[in-house]
Amino acid sequence: MSSLTFVTPASVDAAIAELRTGEPGEVAVLAGGTALLFALEGAKAAPRRVVSLRRLPWRTVDWNGPVLTVGSTLPLRSLERDPELATRHPGLFEAIRAVGSVQLRHRATLGGNLGRASPASDLIPVLLALDAEVEMVGPTGARSLPVDRFVLGSRRTALAPGELIRAVRFPEPRPSAYRWQRVRPANDISQIAVAAAFSPSAGSWRLAVGGIPPRGVRVPEAEAMLLSSRPTEAEIRGAAERAARHLTIATDRRASEEYRRHLVETLIERAVRAVVESPKGGR
Amino acid sequence: MTPPPLLLTVNGRPRPLEGVPASERLIDTIRWRLGLKGTKDGCRTGDCGACTVLVDGVSTLSCLTLTHEVEGSSLSTIEGMAEDPVGRAVQEAFDRAGALQCGYCTPGFVVALVGLLRERGRAASVDELLADLGGNLCRCTGYLSIARAVALLQKEAP
Repeated sequence: MSSLTFVTPASVDAAIAELRTGEPGEVAVLAGGTALLFALEGAKAAPRRVVSLRRLPWRTVDWNGPVLTVGSTLPLRSLERDPELATRHPGLFEAIRAVGSVQLRHRATLGGNLGRASPASDLIPVLLALDAEVEMVGPTGARSLPVDRFVLGSRRTALAPGELIRAVRFPEPRPSAYRWQRVRPANDISQIAVAAAFSPSAGSWRLAVGGIPPRGVRVPEAEAMLLSSRPTEAEIRGAAERAARHLTIATDRRASEEYRRHLVETLIERAVRAVVESPKGGR
Repeated sequence: MTPPPLLLTVNGRPRPLEGVPASERLIDTIRWRLGLKGTKDGCRTGDCGACTVLVDGVSTLSCLTLTHEVEGSSLSTIEGMAEDPVGRAVQEAFDRAGALQCGYCTPGFVVALVGLLRERGRAASVDELLADLGGNLCRCTGYLSIARAVALLQKEAP
């Protein structure tokens, strides 16, 4: 650890060049750094070079018509405090509030959360439910991927060597909600978390579940049970039961499989009802 | 390979620091390099909030922050709170409410609350402030008196 080098490139090109200065695993990207500190002290193969993104011009929130674009290095607390967020993307607002604590969110970023791709991420389920697009930039230019194709598995993403997450794009405001269960409200990992959203443009629901390895997933079998923007109680219960039955869920030290299936069912019901009952929900 | 010197402003005074390794955490810089032991070292994993300081006015976990990452920033620790009107008000409220027992978590709670009041001011309700203090743990479980201190503050905001 004493041989660690810290660099703060002043441009995107310089940052991309820095990523290519070492073998994979030797170079670590620092966005907010709240997860990186564990990597520096815990791992057997700890990084030797830290590339801080703090001088890059990516601490941005941009509302352009229906589209929200969030710069990857914007602290989550700044996004949470954006005056439009809670009304236009209530589920995203609630999910951000579930991340760590205020102190942690002053540094933690959307880009860092996505790039880390933890199975415990509280943001990936809601990004799935909102059909978020991940914008990347790298040695061969810029590209973007839907979050579903960006997160490949536990701690695995589609980022190519030398690529950085530049921004996350949300195509339209959606009535949405995020519900979770955990032991401690702050600074804890959700045993199960559920994001629900209704897409006005597609006329259909998105249900995504987090807290189960390897990664947050959408549950199309359950989405298909919700037949309109104002589903009946029977439809809501049917969707929740189906999700609880279909998902691949295991027991680990945080919760048993049985308890998690129970949580999936309960939290899907609560999240969908919250969307329907919200001011802009269900038309 | 000597790392370059870096500059921090600590409780209003410029503090140039020589030879800070790239791997040094802000909490260790504060406690061992600057000798300011008021900031407490609780868990070193971001769970307890005892190490909370203000970096450019916003509450930050100094245990999860590399010192080099905040180069050039202005830092406020518990030692600087008496010179700040909000800081003084929070400390007086903790005093009046008896909001400490062993005291280990107190600097973190005070600094976190000062940060919240600077962000939200009088607009924040007591319940919102308490929810936003969720990242701070009190292992004496003295939460009721801490809640009383917050209530005192919002009735008599600075």
